[in-house]
Amino acid sequence: MTFKYFLVAVLIGFIFYLLLLPRLDAVRKAVIAFVVLTMLVFAIQPDWSTDVAHRVGVSRGVDLLFYVSHLVLFFVAFLYFLKFKKMEARFTKLVRQLALERARVEP
Amino acid sequence: MHANDVDEMLRETFVVVPAYNESRVIGDVVRGLAASFPHVVVVNDGSSDDTAAVLKGLPVTVVTHHINLGQGAALQTGITHALERGATYIVTFDADGQHRVEDAVSAVRLLREGSCDVVCGSRFLGTGSNVPRVRKMVLKTAVALANLTTGTRMTDAHNGLRALSRRAASCLDLWQSGMAHASEIISQLRAHKMVIREVPVQIHYTEYSLAKGQSSLNSINILLDLVIGRFLK
Repeated sequence: MTFKYFLVAVLIGFIFYLLLLPRLDAVRKAVIAFVVLTMLVFAIQPDWSTDVAHRVGVSRGVDLLFYVSHLVLFFVAFLYFLKFKKMEARFTKLVRQLALERARVEP
Repeated sequence: MHANDVDEMLRETFVVVPAYNESRVIGDVVRGLAASFPHVVVVNDGSSDDTAAVLKGLPVTVVTHHINLGQGAALQTGITHALERGATYIVTFDADGQHRVEDAVSAVRLLREGSCDVVCGSRFLGTGSNVPRVRKMVLKTAVALANLTTGTRMTDAHNGLRALSRRAASCLDLWQSGMAHASEIISQLRAHKMVIREVPVQIHYTEYSLAKGQSSLNSINILLDLVIGRFLK
């Protein structure tokens, strides 16, 4: 039971932290808040996650959470990878511009 | 073609050589090119060896990337520079000494005849194929991937020797920094309906150029880069 209280405290703290983040746009805030609130509900009422799991053909709620969190993590990693690639492209353009300008000055 | 015509053609041509840590061979490659082509542009792609020092004093323009970006990025920089300086024809030429200058001259000559916009060298056309067996397998995989992703039927998509008309070179906006640029070049040229011709060229394989070339595993990287490239468009 102790872990349950710890988890609830961390999740509630996370929601406050999220609300205070100024740079995050409203849609992202809403999506993250939904995910955290769902986790909060499942932390308080673990049986509900088992009910949901049964409905989608998974035997235990904790297994369902495990699968879903894997998918979410992969998705997030992929988004960051794309972001990184885009940044790399911008960086390439910057280095190229510098090289070309220098070549114009000292041909 | 008259001697004057050939001279004019060579004067209007810019040869772009992307170079990354090629100090051992770049001097000879550039001297060989400069003997025929008055305009040679070497893009020093953030080399950490003596490439810059070797290039000093040679009759070439050096464009320097302060950090290493990859061959695709270096080619785009060189092509943009050549276009800015008014090139009519642009040749891309590997820095490791595997291409022959006479093949580059023939490619530009073919381009000047006007029947196509791009001439690509192929080591698998004609009788001169001297490609080592493992290399052949890697390259054939790369060709199959390139044909699959670009919808073309090329025999050697990863050959660094190409000649492009100004019109064709202006179409390029290479996004792939690494080795996937070879397929990207073909797919962008096709998107702009450029006429591409392949001509047989000889590749001079040395221990050096083989060590510098792509490893078999790199085919997987190229495929990944191409797939990811689609998401970024």
